[in-house]
This record gives sequence, C-alpha cells and structure tokens, in this order.
Amino acid sequence: MLRSEHVMARVSRGRVVPHRLSTSDRRVLEIAAELCDLYAGHLGQPRAALQAALAEREEELGPRLDARRGFRIVRALAKLLEERASWEPPTEADPYTVRTRLFELAAALPEPPAAEPGLLAATTRDDLLSQVSIETTLVDPSAVMYADRQAAQLLSVFDRPEPEALVLRYNVAQAQGVLYSARDLIVDLGPGADARLVFHYVKLMGLVYRLETTSRGYRLHLDGPLSIFGGTRKYGLRLAKFLPGLLLTTPWSLSANVEWKGRDAVLELDSESGLRSHYLGPREAREPDEVREAFVKAWERAKDTGGWRLDAGAEILPLPELKAALVPDFALTSDTGERAYLEILGFWSERSLIERVALVREARRRGHRVLLAASENLSATKETLSEAVHGEVVPFKNRLAPKAVLEALTDL
Amino acid sequence: MIELFYESGTLIASGLPDGDHPPEPFIWDGRTRQWRAPASAYREVSLSLRGSSTPHRDRAAAFEKLSLESRVAMEPRPYQRDALAAWRRADLRGVVVLPTGAGKTAVAVRAIERVGRSALVVVPTLALLKQWYSILQDAFGDSVTVGLLGGGYHEVTPLTVTTYDSAYIHAERYGDRFALAVYDEVHHLPAPKNSVISKMLLAPYSLGLTATPERPDGGHDLLPELVGPVVYHLSPEDLAGTYLAPYDLIRIPVELTAHERHEYAEAEAIYRDFLKKHHLSVRSPEDWQRFILVAATSHSGGREALLAARRRREIQAGAVRKGATLENLLRRHWDDRCIVFTKSVEEVYALSRRFLIPGITFETPARERKEILDRFREGRYRTIIASDVLNEGVDVPDANVAIILAGSASHREYVQRLGRILRPKEGKRATLYELVTTATGEEFTARRRRESTRGIPV
Repeated sequence: MLRSEHVMARVSRGRVVPHRLSTSDRRVLEIAAELCDLYAGHLGQPRAALQAALAEREEELGPRLDARRGFRIVRALAKLLEERASWEPPTEADPYTVRTRLFELAAALPEPPAAEPGLLAATTRDDLLSQVSIETTLVDPSAVMYADRQAAQLLSVFDRPEPEALVLRYNVAQAQGVLYSARDLIVDLGPGADARLVFHYVKLMGLVYRLETTSRGYRLHLDGPLSIFGGTRKYGLRLAKFLPGLLLTTPWSLSANVEWKGRDAVLELDSESGLRSHYLGPREAREPDEVREAFVKAWERAKDTGGWRLDAGAEILPLPELKAALVPDFALTSDTGERAYLEILGFWSERSLIERVALVREARRRGHRVLLAASENLSATKETLSEAVHGEVVPFKNRLAPKAVLEALTDL
Repeated sequence: MIELFYESGTLIASGLPDGDHPPEPFIWDGRTRQWRAPASAYREVSLSLRGSSTPHRDRAAAFEKLSLESRVAMEPRPYQRDALAAWRRADLRGVVVLPTGAGKTAVAVRAIERVGRSALVVVPTLALLKQWYSILQDAFGDSVTVGLLGGGYHEVTPLTVTTYDSAYIHAERYGDRFALAVYDEVHHLPAPKNSVISKMLLAPYSLGLTATPERPDGGHDLLPELVGPVVYHLSPEDLAGTYLAPYDLIRIPVELTAHERHEYAEAEAIYRDFLKKHHLSVRSPEDWQRFILVAATSHSGGREALLAARRRREIQAGAVRKGATLENLLRRHWDDRCIVFTKSVEEVYALSRRFLIPGITFETPARERKEILDRFREGRYRTIIASDVLNEGVDVPDANVAIILAGSASHREYVQRLGRILRPKEGKRATLYELVTTATGEEFTARRRRESTRGIPV
C-alpha cells in the first residue's frame, strides 16, 4: 500500500483517474528493474545506506520517467518494494545498555567529557569509551550506542519481484490510494462473477453491504457501520484493501464516491481495466474442485433425480443480520418450481465449518431450503462432524452421491 | 425489553416490538436491519431510558471500575481545583482551557481518579503518548497497567493512552470499554478526520484540555457536541508573574566559517532566484508551505530550489561553530539542569554521541524515554538533548537552562518551549539561550519569535 503522498491521479469531468504505468514501456521496466537491483544489492546493508542510495537514484531516475512527478513515482515504487523486505538488528549487543552506561559515566564526571586530552588531565570522551569497551568487550561502543534505531537495521531478506509484477502492483496501489478517500463503493457483479469470493472480502474487511439484483447480476453498495450517519472517509482504507480481492474475479464494474483534493469526484473501474491482483485469494478458493466436478458428473449420469434440476450457483442469499451472504454451490429446482440449495464442503477446518453452518442456519431461518454436505475425509471423524453442526450435515466419503442429496432433500 | 449493544463504533437497539421506535437519535439501518445510533449517543440514550423508566438491558457498556488513588502526592493549585470543580458541575463533560505550563495533566489525573472507571486518553503526538504513559504510570501504576495504542504499541488496558491517528482507526474496536475519554490538546478533535473518534466511543464522560481551543477553520464550534462546552478558561495573563518563573533570554550569534558562508551564499542565490521568479516571499509557515507546493510542482528549477532551501537550512543548523559554542555552554552549566533543543533528529543522535548525553526523539521507546526524564528529574543526568518531541504540552519539570540550537519560526512552538522552562521553583531564575547563525535567515526567525511572545516577562 502506498502512503497518501505517493498517490497520484488526475480529474477530468468529475472522474478521477489514478496514475498508471505501462508494462510495455521499456523505460518503465528498466527503472523498475533498477530499483529491484538497488534493493537486492543492499542485502546485509543498513537501512540508512539504502535510503541514501534511493534518494540519490531518484534524482536521476525520476526525471527519466516524468519531469514533474518522476520522483514521486520512483518513491512509490520503492515503497512497494519495501513491503517485500525484512530487516534485522545489526548487533547482538544491547545498544540500550551500552548507551545508558555511557550516559551515566559521563553525568558522574565533574565536567563534560573532554574532546581531547588536555593539560589538566580531565577525563576524555575516549577514556569513557575505552572503559565501556573493556566492560562489554565491544570494539567501538559509540558505534553500537544507537544500533537499535530503524536506520541501523540491516536488510536481511528481499523477495525480489519481476519488474513487470512491480509495475502491475503499482497500478493497483494507485487505484487503492484513490480509494483511501472514498466514502462508499458500488460494485456491479456480472454473470459468472464469483460472489462467494467477493463476500469473503466484504466480511474480511468488516464492510457493511446492501444488495440489489440487476438485470445482469447483483449490485453491492459497500460502506461501514457509521456511514449511515453521513458519508465518512473512515472506511476508505478498507475499501482500498477490498479492491485486490475483487480483482480476483470477473466480470464486474465499480464506482466510488471519493473526495479528491477537496472536491467530489467518482472513481470508475471495471474488470477490463487491466488491473491485476496480488492477493492469493482465500485458501478454499485455491483448492482443486474435484468434489464438485465429480458431483456434477454423477448427477448428470444419475437415472433418477426425482425431478430436480441442478444449476451451478450464481445466486446470493443475503443475510444482512450476519453482515454476510450465503452463496451456495448449487441451486436445485424441482418440476413444481420448488427451490433448494446445496452447499458442499470438500476440505474444511472446524472453524470454517462452524461459520458455514451459521450461515446455512440463518438462511434456513429466513425460509430458504439449504443442504450442507461435508466430506468426512481428512482429519474429521463422523463424531466431530456431527458434534460441530448438530447433525445438520449430509456427510460423504470420497464423493458425494446424488442419492444422498435427494434423500436429504425429502427430509428437509 | 430494549437491549443495547455496541457494534463497531455504533450503538444498536434491539428487542423492540414491531412498530416501536427507540428514542432519538436512533435510525433504522436497512442494510443490516437494525436500529443504529453513533456510539456517542450512549449517554443521552441511557439517561432518556432511565428517565422514562423504560425497561432495558445494557449490553453495550463494558466499562470497568477502577479503584485509583494517585500515589503522587500533589497539592492542586487553586485554579486546578476550580477547573475540576467546574467540570464536575457540568456533569463530567466539557473542555478546560489552561495555558501551557499550568498543569493541565494534573487536572486530567484528578479527573480520572474521581471518575474511577476505565479511561481512554487521546493525544496528538507520539511524544505526548509517551509522556502520558509516564505520568499515568507514576500516578496509578500500583493499581492498573497503563496501556498504549499507537506508535507500534498495541496494548489496550482499562487505562489506555492513544493518539488521534490510532483512535481514528481502532476506536471502533475498543469504544465500548471506556467510561471516560480525555482529549489532550482537544483543538485537534474537531479536525474533519478526528471528529469521528468521539462518535465511536460510548464514553458518557469526557474531558477536553487545551491552551488554545480556537481553530482557524472555525471547528471549535463543534467542541460542545464532541466533548462538551468550555467549562473553565484561564489565560496566560492570569498566570504570569504568579505561577510562571521569570527568565533571562540570551541570544548568542554564531558566525559561519568562510567555507560555510560560501556554500550558504550559493544555496541562497538559487533559492532567492526561484522565489523572485515565482513572485513569492516567505515570511510565515504558510508562506513556506506555499513555496514547497510551488517548487514541488514546478517544471523548471523547482527541485533545485527545494534542495537549495534544504541545504540553506542545513548550513544554518549545522554550523561548525554552533557545536563549539554548545560545548562551552554545557561546560558552563554542567551543574545546572539543562535541556538542549534542536530541530533535527539526526543532530540529536550526533550530539548525543559526541557529548555522551542522553537524547530523546520520537524514535525513543516509551519506557526508555520515561527513564531518561526520571533520571533527569532526580539529577542523575545533568543534560538531555531533544528534538521537537518535547514540544506541545510535554512536561519537563525543574530544568533551569534551555538551549535552542535551531528552531522554526512557529509562534506556538516557541511559547510552549518556553513553558517547559517556566516551571515554578523556589528562587529559580531560568536562562534561555538561543544560538542563531548570523547573516542568515535565522536572525529574522528569532526576532519574529520574540515579537510574538509579548506578554510573557522577558
């Protein structure tokens, strides 16, 4: 994430357009690569040295990019590299003990420690340093005095990105920076967008949502608890952290009301904007989907599905009281138009199971018919499973049989 | 029965029969299907529910009772006692205006003691965060652990100190825990960003402290709503002579060396040319801001002008002879309690290394900072050197010599720095040295500062 002073955007006709660098611009990639080199070359060096080198390089690299804003661009890129760096203390000695000892010795003298030995043979600064050197076995106590300052820390790890990845990260970071001053965010999810993923980030960022259905899908109004008493920019940071989550899926478009340099403006983006997320996504979403795929195949092969039709889920069941929404894996529709939902948990932790069951219960309370099928594989035994959810689960072993689902449907 | 809950900086009322409205200022939040009010409505809502004997259950407040007794024996000055009494008469809600150096913190410590419930102290700077930690630890360290939130600390206890910046981010998580909110330098609260802080706190009791409640943007009009009305007001003139010690101001001109003069002239020429070209003059901090803005966005020469301006300041601040003069002064006042002020953090560390005297900057950890100041107070340390961290409202009792190495021309900063030295002490006459580089801009700065402190005996 960038600091506000790194954020750049222009406003045209009430729209605010975040600054962007092109990944096909050779100069840009060269400069990104040079900055990566600079960081990598400072492994084991103190932070102050890296910062001095950066300040020097930015004077040369900045104008090559942009006469006016080049410095800020270079600084912003460096800030994003900083997120990939780890630092460690330069010494095993305790600087606090060393300096405190020196201060005490100096304060006990009848006059300030002399810079040089004089005729009157007063205690000199060197005398005190030698004394502490003997006490601590440090060669140069004055060098250790403030070794615990940030500036003295050594660069221990640098996770070097490809120049292109850095530029892509920069473009997202600038859009995020504009969102820092957003009062709200409206997201339109198109057909096929992963609503479950979106709600994962809505919940993670503690945002409050309002849901509407549109002709193409869903519209989410996002802000925070206090927003209802008049727009506040307090949730801008969270909206900014939400954005890379949204970038993991497609298609969508968004618009945000932002206060840019004291004026109201609108930020508009969509899934074609060329922004690439650096989030990995929630773990469940990254796991292979064999269980669901196998279930769909088994359903297609099944001779009798009791008149129920299976659709991959793109439906959202809003649960405003829980500040969440359930996005079931599948919707089931019967000949008679009855509707039920099926949620499958292939891999799960006890916590994710309990969370999911809470959502399912709340959805049931609101009159939705929801089945929850959970795998007994992995560490889970039947007992822990039914204990965790009070038997409201259709358990399955390697694969979920349509028959088990149909039976549960009649019981529900 | 109505039930009240705290949720992310807001107050929720539930359990109402359909069609019933909870009292003002609750509104229906269709997003989550709840009755919602800002957390700050808690006091008004509680009083109104109790007043009308409406059955209700309060699941919102998570305040803790604290049995606090300050172990620092301190006879309050009469005006401190008056200020506290006025605040109590206003039902423990309001702003106390006291001049710098009049002991605002003592009023707050007594208020916290009297309320005897969990309290959150909100301060503008990390330096003040550390200072308040130290004061509260001294006063109540026996009975509670003092918590810190901000500046790398995240330890929330029933008596916690935080900054406005951290409170803005975190208040919604802890806003149910504190019965009393103390806002130090409360003129920061009505800033557009900060005003939301008090809205996120249930705290039915609040105390604002400041020497200067007025804000140029008129934001002080919001104070009654955010903290309460001004309940007590004392101006510096009311105190001068009685509680503020007289002091001598000694200005020591420091001449640049030939080399420094040459470099200075070069930087000065670039800087002046730029000002002339853009029809700028720099006479106030606002002018300086404008210069930075113009230079930062200028296509030609802006960068050079900025560098020259910085170089100019560096030469002024770092003049070789300044170091030698300082050494002389330290020698002369080795048996006094002396504080050296400088603008630059790096200079603090350089001088600390050079003279082996403890340095304090915004980087200094809270515990070490307290230890240094405690030892300075006890006389174990004779001299300390500090960057701006000892500014606004920060307390260093019993120093009788101060040396300013380089200061900015801010009116307020200067007055408040003087305040540090002006602690009343038996038969004490304080000395303030100002080391000013001659034939440079610092002369003008120093003159302007003195002119703006009329009213305080010099």
